[in-house]
Amino acid sequence: MIITAILAMLVIWCLFYGGITNTILICLCLITGGFLAIVSRHKHEGFLVIDIIAQKSHLNKVNPSIKFWTVLILLFLCVGSKSVIVGLILAVVMFILMVPYGGLDLHDYLSLLSVPVSFLLISALALLFNYGEVASGVINLPVFQGYLFVSQSSQLRTGLVLSKALGALSCLYLLSLSTPMSEIISVLRKAHIPDVVIELMYLIYRYTFVLFEMYRSMKDAAKSRLGFVNFSISVKTTGKIYSNLLARSYQKAMNNFDAMESRCYTGEIRFLEHEKKISLMQYIAAVSLVVIISGLTFTLH
Amino acid sequence: MFKWTKMEKRMMTLSVMIAALLATSQTAYAMHIMEGYLSAAHCIAWGAISIPFLVAGVISIRHTVQKQRRALILLAMSGAYIFVLSSLKIPSVTGSCSHMTGTGLSAIIFGPLATSVLGIIVLLFQAILLAHGGLTTLGANTFSMAIAGPIIAILLYKGGMKLKLNRKVCIFIAAALGDLFTYCVTSMQLAIAYPSEAGGVAASALKFLAVFAPTQLPLAIIEGILTVIIVMGMESFAAPELKEVGFIKEGN
Repeated sequence: MIITAILAMLVIWCLFYGGITNTILICLCLITGGFLAIVSRHKHEGFLVIDIIAQKSHLNKVNPSIKFWTVLILLFLCVGSKSVIVGLILAVVMFILMVPYGGLDLHDYLSLLSVPVSFLLISALALLFNYGEVASGVINLPVFQGYLFVSQSSQLRTGLVLSKALGALSCLYLLSLSTPMSEIISVLRKAHIPDVVIELMYLIYRYTFVLFEMYRSMKDAAKSRLGFVNFSISVKTTGKIYSNLLARSYQKAMNNFDAMESRCYTGEIRFLEHEKKISLMQYIAAVSLVVIISGLTFTLH
Repeated sequence: MFKWTKMEKRMMTLSVMIAALLATSQTAYAMHIMEGYLSAAHCIAWGAISIPFLVAGVISIRHTVQKQRRALILLAMSGAYIFVLSSLKIPSVTGSCSHMTGTGLSAIIFGPLATSVLGIIVLLFQAILLAHGGLTTLGANTFSMAIAGPIIAILLYKGGMKLKLNRKVCIFIAAALGDLFTYCVTSMQLAIAYPSEAGGVAASALKFLAVFAPTQLPLAIIEGILTVIIVMGMESFAAPELKEVGFIKEGN
């Protein structure tokens, strides 16, 4: 994670260079870098951590439809805004809703926020730097016959893109960290997505866990037989595990089909859904949030 | 300023390339465009472009399911397989975590039409359950990863088979180039959304291609190798299952 931290410091440096004094800038860089080096760790122990968190969240009791549609509207407002403020406000609001109110662990939330950080940083570099014949930017690096330069307008644009991405990501997390997949699928069913697709989604979600369990036992078996001692062997082992996984999963699917057919499966699957009532307070909160954010989106430039 | 000689320039380029390769960021996922990265107009436009392919996919799945009900279960298992594959770590040279995309594999085994529908479901799951990609960028990601990549992969595979190339070579080329094509399309999508101040869309596309190359090029090669091993392995011990999907019929 050291590399991500260095990359983050580089991006922050280029983003604010010339706008604030150097001492503050250095502090900002060090804080961000240190923070990322500590917090962001790519975890692989738990499978589908987000799904587990969603089951536990206090916001899980809220009706999924209202969550889904509010988040979708907010997402599009955030993406359509032309000001840094909208993204930042959304990030703060969602943080308050999720961590203190929803009962999510702060460390979990921060490490989840850092998941897409590498895409964010790498593309921020591409947005910041331009290549030209003349040195016309805040930072200029001579490369071959021309200059790689960061201009003030590219700093502004990158800042806007990053803040919008942060806001939108927070909105997405509000949905995904409080709503189990089966409820999201039932919202989509009500939105008249074709039945075949809905059934596929239900089944895919269920089979995911079956497959992962199978994968884990195969991997442990291979590991205990020195299947991952060096790079070329581990590539070979991985490929073999994957092909075996697909073969075994098909056999399982066939058995599953036989079991379903013997229970009168005729091409339609329905699952039991718990009804969650929407309270008046939730209506008011959702509507006022949408109104405030859309007001900000359309007025600020 | 001194003039650099050709040799010196080459050394410089080589050292930059080595530095870039070794210092790649720790996690190399396929290039999902992140939530909030595209403006509303772009989100809707890419979504609209994907719709015809998805409609064709849904219709083809419906027909297959009507003919053989078992197919739905098989398709679901295939979708789950692609999703699990994309969430698992694969071995990589630099010690970073890389993840397969499964684009080429799915196109070769299940065909491009079914892949488009399975792809959008998998991308939705990745956005919600793994925080890769997003709801607003679902359209753009679907176009690059579930439509453009698989179509190129299957064309390359079919073309290679027609030219009577070695089976393994065909699979490798289809999977690796399908991956690379996805990465090019994503770079183009980002470039159209954010054209460069000096040089416009083309310059911007070059920038995005350049910064993502260190993570995406090794990924494409490893994905190609893995896909070859997987397909060859499946043919040797899962022939009856593959017949259900109609893969071997086409192959021989």
